[in-house]
Order: sequence, then structure tokens, then C-alpha cells
Amino acid sequence: MRQEDESEGIEVAWEDQQRISAFSKYNTRLSSIQDELKKLQEEKELYDDLEMELELADEKEPVPYQLASTFFHLTPPQALRQLSLERRTLQKDIRRLEKRRDECVDGMKGLKIELYAKFGNQINLETDPKDD
Amino acid sequence: MSEPNAVAGPSKPKGAFGGIATIGIHSDTIDKSNPRGIPYAPFVTNVDDFVGGQDAGVEGIMGSFKEMTSKYQYMEVSLQTRRKGIESKIPDIAETLKVVKFLEARRCKSLGTQPTVVPKDSNESDEEQDDEDALSDEPESEDEDDLLAEANELEASDEQLESGKVPGQKALKTLYELNDTLFAEAEVEENGQVGLWLGANTMLMYPLGEAVLLLSEKLSTAKKNLNNIKEDLEFLREQVTVMEVNFARVHNVSLSGRRLQKEGDQGKKGEHVKSLKDQD
Repeated sequence: MRQEDESEGIEVAWEDQQRISAFSKYNTRLSSIQDELKKLQEEKELYDDLEMELELADEKEPVPYQLASTFFHLTPPQALRQLSLERRTLQKDIRRLEKRRDECVDGMKGLKIELYAKFGNQINLETDPKDD
Repeated sequence: MSEPNAVAGPSKPKGAFGGIATIGIHSDTIDKSNPRGIPYAPFVTNVDDFVGGQDAGVEGIMGSFKEMTSKYQYMEVSLQTRRKGIESKIPDIAETLKVVKFLEARRCKSLGTQPTVVPKDSNESDEEQDDEDALSDEPESEDEDDLLAEANELEASDEQLESGKVPGQKALKTLYELNDTLFAEAEVEENGQVGLWLGANTMLMYPLGEAVLLLSEKLSTAKKNLNNIKEDLEFLREQVTVMEVNFARVHNVSLSGRRLQKEGDQGKKGEHVKSLKDQD
């Protein structure tokens, strides 16, 4: 970076600096969103498995259902109701994160076009292919 | 190198950037701060003007740049600590809310009433942060046990609340966490109230509906604070980058200045000078 700015002949203006900053912000945000999404999706799979189990369980036999640090003895139908509530919250969180993820991706796409137009091959904005 | 003192700028507001004059600095970065009052780092657009407009020499400029950078970094570290604190509180509040909601839903079902609806975006403000801290400063892991134990105790001791009991409702059996690896059985006799641990050795009894509202509000405040902190951290990182760019630019100018001087003095063209030639 030290030599590049000056000697390569393209001056980095404030607007460019802001674009680069914004790009890096999106990039960091994106990776943390993706981590969080992955966690939530794994949780959702657990919920799905649990739902199956509960549907197969004896309706009269209470099961210990965990909320926070406490297990409540619930009958499978009660447990299923609670589960669907929690799943709805989870689903909402997932959708919210997906929306934010798309915002990041779109924002980066736009900035990439602008920055490549000005700096050409002097700038590298490619992320890991696995992130896409 | 040019004589820095010769070019005294017309306006040199002291203090804004640790005594750095604002000539050659992009106006968008002067005297501006983000929503939480963290100042923008000055962005040097014209290095020559900037260096020329300073009382201090290049060394002085670089010194104050370094100082500013480390201030930003210090803030970053302290915010990261706050972020961790809030991040660990949020699940606690969310879990407690989940249990209270569960108890309320259960009660409403047997009474045939409607559970509390949490208003969306209830008007919380930043000032509530202090309450927030008070609520969650104490370790919350005991919350549920306390909550349940308290509910039981109260049922037995307070006749007035006894009336809150739903007749004919089946007792709620639980296994609650007595210790990290030890669970004990408890039967919760529901009376429509819960004890919420407010910290500072205080627990308050709330009707379930009020508890839901209170906890929801705390939760959304905490989430909002977390978002602000995340934004601030992003902002700080940007300012550090800007300072690094500034540093590099001023450094480059001072190097090329020194080399050109050397070149003139000795008429000698070393390899390192050659690399800078295309610039002239």
C-alpha cells in the first residue's frame, strides 16, 4: 500500500477511500452473518428432528422439555406447541439474517463495479469462493 | 525539503486533530463525528499542502498520527469488551423471556384469556441503558431456579396471591438446575406472578403480562445497544484504516523529499532513487 498510492499514478480520493471502507465493512459483516446463519440453520435441523420424535412419542407420557436451564414436564402435544412457537422465532431470525446477507452481497457487487472501474487490476476485491 | 514554517495557514484551529492544521484535509472529515460522537479521522487529500501547512515537521505529523491511531485502537478494545458483555446478556434475557412467555401462555390457556402482545418497536431510548445494565449485571444463571423457587414459596406464604391460582389446573412439574450438573424436581404452583432478578440483590414480583413486557423491552434495548456497538466498531476500524493511509502518504512524501534532496546534494543515483524517478 505504501508505494502503490503514489507511484502507480492513481490517486486514492476520499470517495474511493469511503468505498473501500464500505466494501471492507460489508465483507466483515457478511462473514459474521454467515456464521450466525449457519448456527441457526443447524439449530433448525435439531428442531426438525425433535418434531419428528415428538410426533412419534406416546401422547400421554410427559417428556422433559428444556426451556432455559429448566426442564418442564410436558406432554408431547404441549411440547409440540411450544416447539412450533420457538421454531417460528427461529425462522424469523433466519429470514432477517438472510435479508441482511443479501444487502451485503448487493452492496459489495455495486462497490466492486465502481472500484474496479477506477483501479482496474491494482485492486483485489475477491473473497473466498466458498463465501458465495 | 520545504520550510514548514514558511507556509503558515490562514486557519489553524487547534485541538480538532491534536493541533494539526486542516489544510489539505478533506472537508468531510473535519469536525465530524458518528452518531455516538466518535470523531472521524482526518483524511489527507493533498499531501504536499497538508505537510506544508503544519507547524510541526513530518516527524511531528507522524507522531500525532500515531497518537490518534492508538486512541482509536484503545476505543476499539474497550468497545469489544462491552460487546462481549452485552452479547452474553442477550441470551440470558431471551431465555428468561421464553420461560415467562411459556408460563403466561399456559395460564392464559387455562383461563381462556389472551396472552400479552408485545408492541413492536416500543419507544425505548438510549438512556435506558443504565437500567439495562442494572438488570443484567448480576449473574443470571440462577434466574430460573430463583424464579421457580420464589413462585413456590410465595404461593405457600401469601394468601392474597393464593387466589391467583387457576382452579383445577394440573400442576407443572419441572426439573430445575440446582447446580451445573445437578437437577432437582419441583412442582410449580402457578399464581400468575414471577419473581424477576433485577440485580443488586433485588427480586421483584411481576404479573406474568408485565414481566413479558419488561423483559421484551430489556431485550430490544440490549439488541439495539449491541447494534450500536457493532456499528461503532466498524466505524473505528475504518478510521484506523484512514489513519494508516494518511501515515503511508505522509511517509512517502517525506521519503521522496529526502531522497530528492540527497540526489541533488550528491548527484548520485542509487537504486532506491531510481524507483522514485517516474514520479517527478
